[in-house]
Amino acid sequence: MTVTPKFSPEAVSNTLKTFIQRLLLSEFFIFYLCVALFVALTPFIPVIASPYNLSNLFSNTWPLFAVAIGQTFVLIIAGIDLSQGAIISFTSVIGASLIATKVDPAVFGQSPIWGKLLFEDGAILAHTPLGVPIALLTMILVGLLIGFLNGAIIAYARIPAFMVTLVTQMFFASLAIYFVKSENIINLPKSFTSIGADSGLLSIPLVMTVVLAVVAHFVLSRTVFGRWLYSIGTNLRAAVVSGVPERKVIILTYMFSGFCAAFASIIYSSRMEMGRPTLGAPFLLDIVGGAVIGGSSLAGGKGKVIWTFFGVLFLALLGNALSLLNVPFFWIEIVKGSVILAAALIDVTRTRILQYHV
Amino acid sequence: MKPLVRIFSVLLVFAFLMAACTPATQPADSGKKQYTICFAFQDLETEFWMAGHKAITETLKARGYKVVEVNSQEDANKQLEQVKNCIAQKVDGIIVIPVDGSIALKLIAEANKAGIPIGIFNRPPQSDEGNALTVVANNEKIAEATVEYMAQEAKKLGRKVKPLIMVGDLGDPNAVGRKQGFYNVINKYPDLFETPVEVATKWNADVARDGLQAAMTANPDIDFIFTSSDFLYPTIQGVLEPLGKWKKIGEEGHVIMGGLDGDKTACSLMQPGNAYVDATGVQDLYFEAQTLLDAIVKAIEAGEKQPDAWLDDPGFALTQGNMATKEMDMWGCKLFHGK
Repeated sequence: MTVTPKFSPEAVSNTLKTFIQRLLLSEFFIFYLCVALFVALTPFIPVIASPYNLSNLFSNTWPLFAVAIGQTFVLIIAGIDLSQGAIISFTSVIGASLIATKVDPAVFGQSPIWGKLLFEDGAILAHTPLGVPIALLTMILVGLLIGFLNGAIIAYARIPAFMVTLVTQMFFASLAIYFVKSENIINLPKSFTSIGADSGLLSIPLVMTVVLAVVAHFVLSRTVFGRWLYSIGTNLRAAVVSGVPERKVIILTYMFSGFCAAFASIIYSSRMEMGRPTLGAPFLLDIVGGAVIGGSSLAGGKGKVIWTFFGVLFLALLGNALSLLNVPFFWIEIVKGSVILAAALIDVTRTRILQYHV
Repeated sequence: MKPLVRIFSVLLVFAFLMAACTPATQPADSGKKQYTICFAFQDLETEFWMAGHKAITETLKARGYKVVEVNSQEDANKQLEQVKNCIAQKVDGIIVIPVDGSIALKLIAEANKAGIPIGIFNRPPQSDEGNALTVVANNEKIAEATVEYMAQEAKKLGRKVKPLIMVGDLGDPNAVGRKQGFYNVINKYPDLFETPVEVATKWNADVARDGLQAAMTANPDIDFIFTSSDFLYPTIQGVLEPLGKWKKIGEEGHVIMGGLDGDKTACSLMQPGNAYVDATGVQDLYFEAQTLLDAIVKAIEAGEKQPDAWLDDPGFALTQGNMATKEMDMWGCKLFHGK
């Protein structure tokens, strides 16, 4: 019998191979990639690890993560919600048009909500003590309602989610612009803007988003509703045969997606200190990209809140790193696209390896 | 092992890409501190912004400043993030072409908090909160001078004219000033002008085309057009030409036309023998760039953290009446003639 010495080249090679294999096949792979990227870049751009930059990095991560949680739920049931950006914009306008403390008639005089919600001395709830809580609640309710509309049409009319949410995206994005004639509503009260204000690493958006994530994780992993989501996404027919109330689940899922978008809108609007009718327009690719890079499948049946966090963190870190590296602006999107493609390729390959091992 | 090899290949490419992005080592300087300026701009979608971008970056580099350029592609949230990234890098000064006047306020607040001088180029903040060096054209006066010339041309027709204004994004104070300048003249001559038609453009050519088409259909008697930005001339031509209303000055049915910016297209449309445009208001782009750079450089070198000043560009109106003497004062004509 031959014994391989503990530190023989062969043993070291085997250990290394096992270690790399475990690393690559781990569900924390994207997180490891984030850590690797961060560690690799720190010597070149030490500022990346500065408290100010980390605060900036995470202030971008939290709202994107919040909205991507909703998208993850939708992806798990093999759907997609293209209306999330429009919900962010629409709820941003609705919230701000309830609480702005001062409104310029020269800018908003032609708006259809002038004289109804907006007045020269402020919005309708501007100087009332419960104005901000009511505005927050309204934003959330509007998000839920749009989600309900999406879910009900998808579940009952059997129109593909892509088509339904594309239409609601167009409708509510345009409605947001129409309401304020494409102007931004500024002069929001301090009690609202302080929600998204920079207060270092431990901020209100962090607390809000972590609570949302924990609840969402619990729902997905510990409740019957969570199991219904995976079963619908994996095989709808089998789920129905098994007694899953698929219409109810689809509607609730899109409502949750709308809720998450409105939740993110609160953070974005307060952070930028304004209601913007185009606020959510640029986010859609990052939302879906974050969820998919994290490991959620566009084909449904696969996804976790923690994976989505890793995906969103990876995207935010990449954008931050490229900016700090002072990469010429026309190269940034090329590099970002290439890296996302690389991450997606790695994920596909990992999935295949995992299937092979199972 | 094949999949593992693929993963490693991809990781290798990834590492290579990131390594390629790391900044090159700066050559040791001659002992004098090299200042770094962050230049955050909204996008380069019109000739005006392209020329402004070129003037600012080239002047800064020529003065030995290191320039960090970031393009927000008209995304206000991204612009905020980019300016904060610049602050994290502890740049010595920030120059911004803001996405709009509202986000400018937030950017100024961030720069003030960090104690970094900030300059706002051409698109002023929506209110005077915060401290910034703001260079901006006197849009109201320039628009007024331009429309005044157009009004004098209209008087020669000996009848009332039907005016149309293509209004910019009213969240941008530049658009508000231009609209005000237009109305100052319209209200001055109540016997000359019928009630004006307003077309909202949101600084977007597609929105402008749709609005102008609808307005021309509803009011075919429109014979006086003022565009709040010169970049819309191709859009106007696209709408007027099929209607048989794209006529040179002096031709029957010529629509009296004017705009504001002073770009290359406006210059080409004012050339003798091929003139469609009667007058255009000129923002003195090179003056604005130079003035802002001088002010911010002075503030940085003096160690000022929050300089605050409003730097006015008086501008002027280039008209068919003063083309011979003023043409080469317009930045768009300099570009048109290759200077």
